[in-house]
Amino acid sequence: MARFVAIRLARALLTIGMVVTFAFVVLRASGDPARAMLSPETPAAAVEAFRKAWGLDAPVGVQYARYVLAIVQGDLGQSMRDGRAAITVVAERIPVTLMLTGPALALNLLLGIPAGIYAALKHGRLADRLVMAIAVAGFTVPSFVLGLVLVLAFAVELPWFPSGGAGTLRQLVLPVVTLGLGGAAVLARFTRSAMLEVLGQSYIRTASAKGVPWRGVVTGHALPNAAIPVLTIVGFMVGNLIAGTVLVESVFSWPGVGSLLVVSVVSRDLAVVQCILLVVAAAMIVTNVSVDLLYGVLDPRLRDASYPIGGA
Amino acid sequence: MDGFVAKSLPAPTARKLWQRDRAVQLALVWLTVVLAVVVFADRLAPYDYAALDLRHRLAAPVGFGGDVAHLLGSDELGRDVLSRLIVSIRMSLLIAFGATLIGASLGTMLGFLAAHFRGWVEQVILACVDFQASMPFLILALAVLAFFGNSLVLFVALLGLHGWERYARVTRALAMSAGAQGYVMAVHQLGAGPWRLYLRHVLPNIASTLIVTMTLAFPDIILLESGLSFLGLGVQPPLTSLGNMVGYGRDYLTRAPWILVLPSLVISLTTLSISLVGDWLRDRIDKTLS
Amino acid sequence: MMAAPLLRAEGLVRRYRLRQGVFRHPVTVKAVDSLSLSVARGETLGIVGESGCGKSTTGRLLAGLEPPDSGTISFGGEPLPAAGHARWRRLRTRIQMVFQDPLGALDRRLTIGEQIAEPLEIHRLGSKSERADRVKTLLVDVGLRPDHGARYPHELSGGQRQRAVLARALATDPDLIVCDEPVSALDVSIQAQVINLLADLKEQRRMAMIFISHDLRVVRQISDRIAVMYLGVIVEEGDPNLVLRDPLHPYSQALISAVPTPGAGRRRDRTVLQGDPPNPAARPRGCAFHPRCPAALPVCAQLAPELTSAGEGRRVACHLVEAAGEGRKETV
Repeated sequence: MARFVAIRLARALLTIGMVVTFAFVVLRASGDPARAMLSPETPAAAVEAFRKAWGLDAPVGVQYARYVLAIVQGDLGQSMRDGRAAITVVAERIPVTLMLTGPALALNLLLGIPAGIYAALKHGRLADRLVMAIAVAGFTVPSFVLGLVLVLAFAVELPWFPSGGAGTLRQLVLPVVTLGLGGAAVLARFTRSAMLEVLGQSYIRTASAKGVPWRGVVTGHALPNAAIPVLTIVGFMVGNLIAGTVLVESVFSWPGVGSLLVVSVVSRDLAVVQCILLVVAAAMIVTNVSVDLLYGVLDPRLRDASYPIGGA
Repeated sequence: MDGFVAKSLPAPTARKLWQRDRAVQLALVWLTVVLAVVVFADRLAPYDYAALDLRHRLAAPVGFGGDVAHLLGSDELGRDVLSRLIVSIRMSLLIAFGATLIGASLGTMLGFLAAHFRGWVEQVILACVDFQASMPFLILALAVLAFFGNSLVLFVALLGLHGWERYARVTRALAMSAGAQGYVMAVHQLGAGPWRLYLRHVLPNIASTLIVTMTLAFPDIILLESGLSFLGLGVQPPLTSLGNMVGYGRDYLTRAPWILVLPSLVISLTTLSISLVGDWLRDRIDKTLS
Repeated sequence: MMAAPLLRAEGLVRRYRLRQGVFRHPVTVKAVDSLSLSVARGETLGIVGESGCGKSTTGRLLAGLEPPDSGTISFGGEPLPAAGHARWRRLRTRIQMVFQDPLGALDRRLTIGEQIAEPLEIHRLGSKSERADRVKTLLVDVGLRPDHGARYPHELSGGQRQRAVLARALATDPDLIVCDEPVSALDVSIQAQVINLLADLKEQRRMAMIFISHDLRVVRQISDRIAVMYLGVIVEEGDPNLVLRDPLHPYSQALISAVPTPGAGRRRDRTVLQGDPPNPAARPRGCAFHPRCPAALPVCAQLAPELTSAGEGRRVACHLVEAAGEGRKETV
């Protein structure tokens, strides 16, 4: 088990290292950062001074080392837009975004998993086809389209909810539903196929033949075994949720990390963009490592495995 | 693609499945329409997509109080929505085609490299695959756009980076199993170099799987393109794409919903159709992916 | 030997690391253990043995497809270059390999003609029209029709496919062909035809051949000399008639008595092999055959016997034969 955890942690560190390097390489490859950050009218002497101040005149290797060292010390630079530390700017937005993603994730799970199980149990019947049709539609409709449709329906035509902003519970409803439905569709499809797979296994037929009531077979045997493959896509779903948040926050003017990212990209506030990149990487790593550890709990066979089964 | 389906399946089964899958049929009809629009966009568009008609600003579509001058209405500057839609479809589809081809070529090449060299080359490529698969691509794409600024070429290249890891994974696995098969060994011992080995022999043999992978990746790229364009970070005006139209139409949601309804519908129907066709192809032709 | 041999192998060793179970430590298996042999120009050497005796590995080593862990191979007086080098690739025009499964050895997405032309394309031999002519000639040489060239592998029968594979191997007029079980995937009725074709081809083209098979009758039909392998070593080698009629090594005796040969086999009591079939991962000390040998001496469990001459151009690796030979010398 210790080895299992150690390998997961080593991979997590590798991913963080790659994100940090990615940001550095992209920044260096995009040309002279001094030119990128300063306006074109800046006099040459000022550009030189800026380079000296930021250590941009040192060799690339030294710059990389300094850059990594600064990040390790928690120094992620300053936001160009409001001059505060980038990490502070990002940190104050995180709870706002979590207010959105938390309920959305809950909606994913509470809607997607039961729908998938239901469809699998009604395999081939009208209910199955109906659920799957909705699910397929659910993840081919882009989240920003769904969001706008909801605004059109429930904010414009039927003025039940506000079309944007944050602060009240009513403002939370439309963005959460937008974000939750897409993920639920993916999860429903996946849960259904995992369930169907498990229901076709011989131990299910054995349990059923032994006279275990069907309800018992499903809850006692099928569900726990279907849970493991469903776990594999949790990382993927959190990734989708993060990406979806950027769009949905933009649709509903929700002042979270996603909106901040879009604004920072438009204004090329590189320190903030890089900081968000690291926060997202950290979130993904925490998710993936927890999923991996959860596997270990759910499936004892995997505990000693030296080879990872899921993603990073 | 039809010949390719027919070759891989005994004819009666193919026909039977074909009749059963009405949804796939409808999807193919829709995709044919979309392709026709892409090819004949210039001839189909009644106006220049950027032409202003300030006397008909925010005109409603025919049937909703508008007149025949603008069948699908016009926008705030009096630009014809139908013309813009047609040009946007072409732009979005061409970008997605280009990006899919870039992703497929890059991923396939890296997959071959990993399978051929093994050792540290393979480990580095696999680490990149893991990294790519574990980060939401939209965030990486936004970061790159922040650092590099935007241009159409860069944008297509950037979208091409999406999904390369799927091809790399599939290609590596298939090339390694092909390497264990006789024909690769046989051609190798004839003295063939790696280029001939991989491009002339292995690639045609794994092409069906790669085509299925491309079909499954295509909707993602359309969604990504329209998402970024919606945020105003993709295709830049005066050029237009489906995502752009939705983004622009958002500001007129209450006054002129027609500006964004049709492009939204086109995005959804197209991604839905390609997904259906992709699933169908995967189930019928290539079971190694599911 | 008169002239320098075409191919000479000296002390070949090939080890594989085998993983037993996913998480166990790998075990090293010696597939070939200090094996030496030579093949003269135009000569056919048959290699026989049970599956797992290392004969296929030997074939790949001799064809230069795999490097030995130690030992040397020289071809035409020069050492075999490492795989992938330009010199190695040029050598492919002179050494060719034919595998067991003709369908697997052919690319199912290319026509037979394209595949036969491929070695010519790779080594840039001839113009496009010359290649096309050459393909037609080759197809006829191996008993196919020129129009077979336009077909795909799945449109041919098993025997026809193996003929096509042979045509491809012959395209560059090689000096040596290594055939690894070339007929065992074919129907028995087709086997004889392909063997006869091979015998004719090597007569006409005066090329050397290494013919690897588990089937003694097939090997006997075509070989000028045969080598019997057991767990990575040659235990007996010599003229096929001599070895098959009067095998000296106990393993050869057992192998040969297992073949239902009309007439010849009746004279002797059938030797039935005792013990477990050979496992290269657990190689016994001393003579590898001793646990199953009906006549093993105490020395057999300690010391591996050397391959030594036993008269009439024959070589045997067995303590019993050595002892008998020395006895013979004393009496002479």
